[in-house]
Amino acid sequence: MEVDWELSELLEALWTLEEQGGALPQDVRRIAHTEVTDRLLERAVGAGLIAWQPSGHLRLTPKGRSVAMPIIRRHRLAERLMCDILGVDVDETEAAACEFEHFIAEGITRAICTLLGHPRVCPHGRPIPEGACCRQAEEQVNALVVPCDRLALGETARVAYVNTRSHPRLLKLSALGILPGVSIKLLQKWPSIVLQCEEAEIALDEETAREIYVWRSEEQGRDELL
Amino acid sequence: MSPAPKRKKVVLVGNPNVGKSALFRHLTGRYALVSNYPGTTVEISRGRLILEGIEYEVIDTPGVTSLTPQSEDERVACEVLLKEQPDVIVQVADAKNLRRTLRLTLQLVELQRPMVLVLNMVDEMRERGIEIHIEALAELFGIPVVETIATYGYGLRHLLRAIPRATVPKNPLREQHREVLGTSPEETGLPVGLIAEWMEVGDARFQRQVEQLLARLSHVRPALEPSSAPRGCHGCSTPRSLCWALERARARFLEEAVLTLRKEGGAQPRRELTPSAFRMWMGLLFCGVGLLVWEELGGRLLWPTPAMWLGHLLLRYVAEPTWALFHAHRLDLMHRLFFGHPAKPEYGLLVEAVRVLVLLAPLLVPAFVLMRHSARFLHQLGRWTRQPMTGIPILGVMLILVYELVGYTGAQTLVGALEDVLFGTYLIPWLRSRIPSGFLHELLVGPYGLISMGLTYALAIILPVVGTFFLAFGVLEDSGYLPRLAILSDRLLRLMGLNGKAVLPMVLGLGCDTMATMTTRILNSPRERLIATLLLALGVPCSAQLGVILGIAAAYSPAVTLTVLGVVASQLVLVGHLAARVIPGERSDFIFELPPLRVPILRNILLKTGLRLRWFLGEVVPLFLLATSALFLLDQVRFGARTGIEWIEHGLRPLVVGWLSLPAEAARVFVMGFLRRDYGAAGLFDLARQGALTTTQVIVALVTITLFVPCLANLLIIVREQGWKRAFAIVGFILPFAFAIGGILGRLLKALGVFS
Repeated sequence: MEVDWELSELLEALWTLEEQGGALPQDVRRIAHTEVTDRLLERAVGAGLIAWQPSGHLRLTPKGRSVAMPIIRRHRLAERLMCDILGVDVDETEAAACEFEHFIAEGITRAICTLLGHPRVCPHGRPIPEGACCRQAEEQVNALVVPCDRLALGETARVAYVNTRSHPRLLKLSALGILPGVSIKLLQKWPSIVLQCEEAEIALDEETAREIYVWRSEEQGRDELL
Repeated sequence: MSPAPKRKKVVLVGNPNVGKSALFRHLTGRYALVSNYPGTTVEISRGRLILEGIEYEVIDTPGVTSLTPQSEDERVACEVLLKEQPDVIVQVADAKNLRRTLRLTLQLVELQRPMVLVLNMVDEMRERGIEIHIEALAELFGIPVVETIATYGYGLRHLLRAIPRATVPKNPLREQHREVLGTSPEETGLPVGLIAEWMEVGDARFQRQVEQLLARLSHVRPALEPSSAPRGCHGCSTPRSLCWALERARARFLEEAVLTLRKEGGAQPRRELTPSAFRMWMGLLFCGVGLLVWEELGGRLLWPTPAMWLGHLLLRYVAEPTWALFHAHRLDLMHRLFFGHPAKPEYGLLVEAVRVLVLLAPLLVPAFVLMRHSARFLHQLGRWTRQPMTGIPILGVMLILVYELVGYTGAQTLVGALEDVLFGTYLIPWLRSRIPSGFLHELLVGPYGLISMGLTYALAIILPVVGTFFLAFGVLEDSGYLPRLAILSDRLLRLMGLNGKAVLPMVLGLGCDTMATMTTRILNSPRERLIATLLLALGVPCSAQLGVILGIAAAYSPAVTLTVLGVVASQLVLVGHLAARVIPGERSDFIFELPPLRVPILRNILLKTGLRLRWFLGEVVPLFLLATSALFLLDQVRFGARTGIEWIEHGLRPLVVGWLSLPAEAARVFVMGFLRRDYGAAGLFDLARQGALTTTQVIVALVTITLFVPCLANLLIIVREQGWKRAFAIVGFILPFAFAIGGILGRLLKALGVFS
């Protein structure tokens, strides 16, 4: 289910409070990164994401939990990324991670998770919800997003992004149908790289092929940015 | 009288290789009327169509992958769209590649002209089990959508009905345009998204058009200025970030559209041969290849081969007994044409036809059946032709076939029949006897006569060679083989600062360098065009020249042929490599679509060949006559004791005799080579036949004349395409270079003592 910015902030706050015990409306109002109005609460209740407890606490419904889980996961992975890889101070990660969580795609999340070695906790010590990639960690030794020339012959993969500084090249590729989200198959590596994309075969030089990054495994999700 | 109603303009646009020209032919009844477009030199075709009482001018454009042009031909297509103000845009699309089609549609929509979308090649689409919801597609853009198979004329009726009913399309990205650019094509009547992209591409020649568009509606401009653009990536809005934002919007739209419009598995796959039939035909195909190799080796090493045997039978039991019969009816000429001169039976057309049939039928018949009836085979062949392990042997077979057709049937048999028999034995002697001696006699049928030299040369020698080459080239082109060759040769061509795309002009150059120089337009950058032009002029021998080279070299030994071709090829690579370093600019990307292999349609190939030959006759033959007249003048005019030709020969002598160590007569060969380099080669042929040259001298002369300046026709085309300065620079480089290499080679060969 798609939720908007405000709702996701609300769910996030609830999740965090529930980890510490219960969530009272005033606590939610205090820590959420959005203005928690009564209307917002009503909307969340109406959507079946949260429910009132008889004790006056707010609680995530199972549906709410499933919606909130990936958001939390993104947020905390983003914190780890900034902390571990970029060397940002722990206290400063929070604000950036809040931005981050809203727009990183599921595929990228997975790539970050793999890159970081499937971390279990965030820099603040809170648990990072497990993703599918963490459960398969043993099999997933290879990087998930690779330049397409690293695929095996005959392997199919989805285009993640075209990492090029050349706009004409990007245009040319997308005109031929090589766009993020599209499935491509590597048909040949030498002397030129040949990809199958839709019903067309496209020959590329290596330099260009190296700029097309793909998700290795097919069933793994598409770029949600699109 | 009331003024004639204005003709409406219909422009055909679409990705390359989707069948625009085929549709154009169906719409207008003409194959392609080639015309020069003002301001550029790239051809577009125009034709007439009358529909429901209204006259339309149909304009065929070069294929474009997008409206942000990347090469000369794409630029022309875009300019047609912008300048001609079409009344109807017909987008022709490859039905099986929906995403790409719609991407172009999204750009065309911005032009806000009435449109029709044609999904062509629906047969190939259905064979792959794909269907498209055309009603939904028509709804999405608000334009008529028709399905066609252009090669068979299927669906044409619907298209003819749709053209007068074309509607201005809806822009599905209107909101996104507003959001990113602050305006939309509907509000401004300008393709604002395209303008942003054109600004980003920054092509100077196309920029003028963009500036004009911008000037027309200045209030859009602020929105596109980097500083005031409403939103970009991370707050910084440059044209690039705007473009990327648009690109993302487009990608998102396409993703969704393709998902909803495409349904899979709806159609039946094509009839397929049964496995046993497939195996049988494959077996026959391999037998055919074996037989061809046997014939080739046998022809050289003088094994008895079926073709030779059949030829003998034909001569013995058909030609000889019928001679008296033909002679009695004064049909000597016809008998000669059919069966050749008793001394040269290989020039007989009937004899040759039998030979070609025996040689090619065992290979081509199974190949044709398999390609026609087995999608599996086509797929397999497509794979084999692009992989080096299988592709190189296949290339070998292709080269043999082309050589058989061009080098043998064209350059030997047809040339023999036309030059020796028709012109040499009948026409010229007859004319000589009719025209009274004097100036006119000399001008028309003298040693440098317009007819005896110029026309004979153009029609009897060059035309058959070039004609058969264009035929072979047409087959390679229509079958989709050439792009696969581009893959195989990309690395080699990259050494020369080009990429695989350049394989087309280079191969075409083996037919006619002049025409090939024109096709360099398909290359992406001016730098590559310059390098390709230089290499074509320098060392790609055209078919007439190649025929002569192979003829002379074969008279000596295969080692001579190999040495000559090896030296020329190495110089091509060397010069290309150096040119790539010297000429500024970067190598352009090799991103190239491989069309599916198809069975070429004979009619289309014949039409294409006819069209190319007409061009050749129109453009090149007058140049032959011009060159002959120049020679004639030089031969006639005397300065002191010598004629003009003798003076030039005299001037060249130190170079030819001193530096190249060739006999003095060879100087004349170079003079003629200046006007037409295969004239020169033909002169060499005579010298070699007279036994005036040693093997080393033959090699030196052949290499020098091959590297020597391009023929007059080619030179004029270079001037037209590249300008005087560059043409001059090219000649200024090639001339000393050819002689330098020739001299060095001669000394090297002498020092090594390889040849006599």
